[in-house]
Amino acid sequence: MAQLPAQTIHRDPQLFYWILFPITVVMVLTGILRHYASVLMATQPKRFDQKSIKEQRSMVHGVATRSNFHVLSAPSFRARRDYLTNAYESGAFLKDPDRRGQPPANPMTDPNAMDGMMGMMKNNMAMMIPNTLIMSWINAFFSGFVIIKLPFPITVKFKSMLQAGVMTKEMDPRWMSSISWYFLCIFGLQSVFNFILGSDNAASQMAQQMGAMGPQAGPQMFGPGVDPDKQFKTEAENLAVVEHYSVLDDVEDRLLESIKSK
Amino acid sequence: MPTEKEFQIAPIVPESVIHNTKALSNLQNLTASIFGAAAGILGLESYSGFLFYFVFTILTTVLFYTIRVAPTSLKAGHAMFDTGRYFRSSYEFWAGGLFGGLAGYILTWTLFYGLVRA
Repeated sequence: MAQLPAQTIHRDPQLFYWILFPITVVMVLTGILRHYASVLMATQPKRFDQKSIKEQRSMVHGVATRSNFHVLSAPSFRARRDYLTNAYESGAFLKDPDRRGQPPANPMTDPNAMDGMMGMMKNNMAMMIPNTLIMSWINAFFSGFVIIKLPFPITVKFKSMLQAGVMTKEMDPRWMSSISWYFLCIFGLQSVFNFILGSDNAASQMAQQMGAMGPQAGPQMFGPGVDPDKQFKTEAENLAVVEHYSVLDDVEDRLLESIKSK
Repeated sequence: MPTEKEFQIAPIVPESVIHNTKALSNLQNLTASIFGAAAGILGLESYSGFLFYFVFTILTTVLFYTIRVAPTSLKAGHAMFDTGRYFRSSYEFWAGGLFGGLAGYILTWTLFYGLVRA
């Protein structure tokens, strides 16, 4: 096949001022707005009464003792284990000890539980609404304009995506319409937001989706619908099976070894 | 591979690991955008543009290693090009930035290419 001459299209420079820059500026500003909206809408940590705090903290105490047993000496670990196991099994830490053995309340009726779900809803909304708005804005005002050319060739398959709204069959798929500039902005602006807002910002939806997968496990431990009494029992068993050793075992041998080798 | 007990004797602080990784990825994001602007102004196309990006990103990482990592890491007895003192895996250090910054690079590359060669 003969090499085709590169297509040149003469574009009005006004396209830059009235399409490219507005879209870019709006994308950046939306990211900043989204960041501050999510900061503002972040739910305040709720105030708990003393008993439920005690229930949670004693659970955390047990987990911390179990996972950091190696920094404790054997007698002090044993003392902690005995104390915690006794208290767990007698239910001394429970919020209302009368309800032991009863099934947990339905999470849908618990007002505390609704907060977590509302938080997730808000986050999703903060992502969805601006995206839909901007896309329909671009479609309404800027559809059908060819504004910019990609600096690298791509296959014809991308044509329908990049040149949505431009009904020209023979045009090189490298030419991009305004909607595809919008998509490029979605993917590429993360680094710009990093400079403006600091690296743990909520501006980009890409970062949000990454973050949504990670730290799920932590607060779930005390989530609604979980019987704290059962959790305490499990934790008592976990503590009981820990085979204790200390990092200071044989420390003098290791010290002598490290001195000798030098 | 270090055992669990060795980790307990010399623990890894997650905050420090996160801080190190963040410093590196911030640098790579910033430089990727700047390289994109440079490539666009130079008018690079297709392969030469991507080659430009890869060469300069690797150059940045090497500079980062020689200026920030190497002085203390060599002194502490690590081998040359071993980043184990500050980073968990050396793959993450040497190749992580290549793909993290690519989207930002393409954005600024396209933008400046379009502006200059309009």
